[in-house]
Amino acid sequence: MRKIIQAFVLTILILIPFSTSAFAAETVEINSLIENAKVLDKTEVTVQGEAIGEMLNRGEYSWVNINDGTNAIGIKLKTADARQITHYGDYKNKGDTIKVIGIFNRACSEDGGETDIHGESVQIVKAGEPVKESVPLPKVITAVLLTVCAAAVVLLLKKRIHDEQIN
Amino acid sequence: MAEKNVSSAEIICYYTGCIILGVAFLMMIPIITALIFAEWNPFLDFVVSMAVSVLVGAALILLGRHTRQNHVSVQWKHGFVVASLSWIILMMLCAIPYYLSGHVNSFLDACFDVMSGFTTTGLVLTQDLDHLSSGLNMWRHMLTFIGGQGMVVLALTFMVKEASGAYKFYVGEGKDIELVPNVKGTARIIWKISMIYLVIGTVSLWIDGMIIGLKPVSAFLHGLYMFESSWSTGGFAPMTQNIMYYHSLSYETITMVIFILGSFNFGLHYAIWQGKRKEFVKNIETQSFFVTSFVACMLALFWLMKLNVYPDAVSAFRRIIYNVLSAHTTTGFGSIYARQFALEWGDFGILIMIIVMLIGGSACSTAGGFKALRVGVVFKGLIMDVKKLLHSERNMKVYKFHYIKEHILDDSIVRSSALIIICYMVLFGTGTLIGTFCGYPLADSAFEAASVTGNVGLSIGVTASPMPMALKIYDIIAMYMGRLEFLSVFALIGYAGGGIKKLCEKSFKRLS
Repeated sequence: MRKIIQAFVLTILILIPFSTSAFAAETVEINSLIENAKVLDKTEVTVQGEAIGEMLNRGEYSWVNINDGTNAIGIKLKTADARQITHYGDYKNKGDTIKVIGIFNRACSEDGGETDIHGESVQIVKAGEPVKESVPLPKVITAVLLTVCAAAVVLLLKKRIHDEQIN
Repeated sequence: MAEKNVSSAEIICYYTGCIILGVAFLMMIPIITALIFAEWNPFLDFVVSMAVSVLVGAALILLGRHTRQNHVSVQWKHGFVVASLSWIILMMLCAIPYYLSGHVNSFLDACFDVMSGFTTTGLVLTQDLDHLSSGLNMWRHMLTFIGGQGMVVLALTFMVKEASGAYKFYVGEGKDIELVPNVKGTARIIWKISMIYLVIGTVSLWIDGMIIGLKPVSAFLHGLYMFESSWSTGGFAPMTQNIMYYHSLSYETITMVIFILGSFNFGLHYAIWQGKRKEFVKNIETQSFFVTSFVACMLALFWLMKLNVYPDAVSAFRRIIYNVLSAHTTTGFGSIYARQFALEWGDFGILIMIIVMLIGGSACSTAGGFKALRVGVVFKGLIMDVKKLLHSERNMKVYKFHYIKEHILDDSIVRSSALIIICYMVLFGTGTLIGTFCGYPLADSAFEAASVTGNVGLSIGVTASPMPMALKIYDIIAMYMGRLEFLSVFALIGYAGGGIKKLCEKSFKRLS
């Protein structure tokens, strides 16, 4: 019986540190963070998503917002770390996909109660790139035809108003 | 039949066409924006949308051309029907660039977002906001800005030459204050006030945007969009995270000041600009607004502090006061995630939000809800009735309230205010009922129904593209009715019903 208890305690002692790091190593979806905010508050988490908008430089620290497809969240990073990110997602660009390990805060006392992540390490998983915009020919033709029709109708309308004023 | 053999249908077609043509030409702004930023697909999307809108507008004007020739005078029914009909047609036309952009899952979603913009609600079904073009972002925020001041007001200012009958269109769009005797002059003052605030607000947010780390050009665009959204108490933002994208107390504070100002009556702005500063204190609306917002903020603060949701006073200000005021002014900027209302605020917190969302801002402002004026009038009416009961029957005291000028508080005013409040409550109740029928929890359904009815835009997580089509259609109707304050929509339904009845009678006669 004593041996069983010893083995059980030993297993628990070994599993606790491993389980924590295993949780941090597992990527969590942003929506799942929000849904489980009370449980995950102040724990180390790993999130992965596209850097969007632009870096908001606040001196020593900067804010980088990431979107993982489920939602978006602000990551507070050291400005030196944030500078690794070169592409931010917008209409013309696909942002860098970054993996961030950091402390999740449900209502961060340092940042006015924000739900955020204080990043400890950041890794570029996939570099972003400019998005090539292709314009379909049917769209161009439709636009030209409709513009010609609209211009003709406006001219007709103007002529009618002009004729009315003369009469 | 209206005078000189011009039918009502022709009058309605003519003025609806004018309004559509006016809004069609406004599409030049996103077209120019798309050109500046070399966004070729959005450029073409807007060219197509503008051409279609011009064709529809011109066709309607041609159908109603006799109206212009005969200088027909407009009746109340025409004003109401034109206002409500033009909103429906414009919703569909303005949804074309959304649909062509590929950022919406269906045309219904596009219509939902346009109606949300027009009515300054701010609920969003557009996907992937973070990759939206500048052209489409400009359009989204322009729609909410124009919707706030009123599209009919805009058309009146620039398009309709004859002022006769203009008041009927103006009232039809839910605005009934006369700042100057001429309605066109009133419309111009409304736009003047808004444009002055536009410059001041955009510059403030532009400068603050650069301070918080945005690049100059993007700081300007964000400043313009966030001003348009705040001033019109809209709630749209260019990024998925809404106001949370900026991580800034100063940015939040500036938007808060703007949306509180936006929720005040244009008459109050005009009075203060004319030096009548006492109006701010004496006005029944500001009194009602400050009492309800103070009580709501305090109750929410005590409750959430009791639950220990936020760690300190700054957090409480940024997460509680901001959201309560955003809800009360019917703006809809959210400084917490939608689901956090459901998961962290508790039933009492949700109830406070529902109440303030339904009350809303001031009449003849950009705000929604059943308005502080009506709350004040009904409250004073209640006190009047109690006093009448307590005093002797010989005592014939006249009760008054101050709203720009002194008004006598009589039963008819109290009754009409109470009727509109009842209409809003029916709309809210129906929305909650449909929400629960669709399988959402009661608190979530009530929160979302209050947000839609009051044209607020805060969400608890119900509004999303996969939500049932019936709920989307109901939300569009509720936003539309809430913004136009029922009368115009009832007039349109009555007019359409009358038309159908006539058609049925004719066909029955032919058959018999």
